[in-house]
Amino acid sequence: MQMPKGSAMFRWSAVVLLFITGLLDVYYGNFYAGFYENLWYAMGTIYIFTAAVIAANFEPRFAQPAVFGYAIFLFVLWATTAFATGVGLDTIAYLDKAIEALLVVNMALLIRSSRSPSLLR
Amino acid sequence: MTQPTRQWSAEKLLLVVSVVAIVAGAAVGTSVGYAVHYSAPTTRAFYLFNSSLPFDEHTWGIPHDTFAPDRITVNKGDKVVIYYRNIEDTTEPHTFSMDTPYTFDAVVHAGQNETFPVATSVKGASDVVVQVNQTATITFTAHWAGVFRYYCAYHQPTMTGYLAVLG
Repeated sequence: MQMPKGSAMFRWSAVVLLFITGLLDVYYGNFYAGFYENLWYAMGTIYIFTAAVIAANFEPRFAQPAVFGYAIFLFVLWATTAFATGVGLDTIAYLDKAIEALLVVNMALLIRSSRSPSLLR
Repeated sequence: MTQPTRQWSAEKLLLVVSVVAIVAGAAVGTSVGYAVHYSAPTTRAFYLFNSSLPFDEHTWGIPHDTFAPDRITVNKGDKVVIYYRNIEDTTEPHTFSMDTPYTFDAVVHAGQNETFPVATSVKGASDVVVQVNQTATITFTAHWAGVFRYYCAYHQPTMTGYLAVLG
């Protein structure tokens, strides 16, 4: 019975992290970006939507890896774009990406606990 | 005869998703870097002066005062610093004023450069008066793209310049 509790904890912490990252992305697009602001709005909106999907536990076998991949994709996208253009290197972006990195770790733990053999009946 | 369903372990799934996401993110990010020529917001400094055209303003019915330069171009997000010097050879004051939505902070020094004592300072203002032989340091961030007027409220319509913010 311990794994489901752990799984639920990781799921709800993922929801919180997704929601915070989404809000930060929208905030960043509004006040900081000056560079493809619409992209930040879209990224933020998708994060907030995925927070709802994870909270509802909708199709977790697909949704959880998709969110995990999405977070890694955006982190690497930011890092390479920042390296190539020098954009997005400020406090808010660093905070956003630090939370995103936490989210990646959280999602990995959630996927592992959700797919634990003890739960597969 | 049915085959047992094979499914990936969590570790294998995480590894595959990570690799695909990293490769895709790096590819898109690198493409953006190549495709978009962008310079990060920076601080841009300009020296601004008043100037007089050689005509009799009473005869022609308009002020002979102008700004030099009368065009300032920056990128959206840049911090703009304008060092405005009133170099009039008469006692005429001028204002540095901006149209909405722009406002600025200004420090007016009682002399020909920034080492002189501060005469006045304003924050979030849309205009500031600069007396003869005074220097104003005007700062703002170019948050909005477009073309915006800066002008002297006392010498219209000639003493007008335009701030072009590239978005």
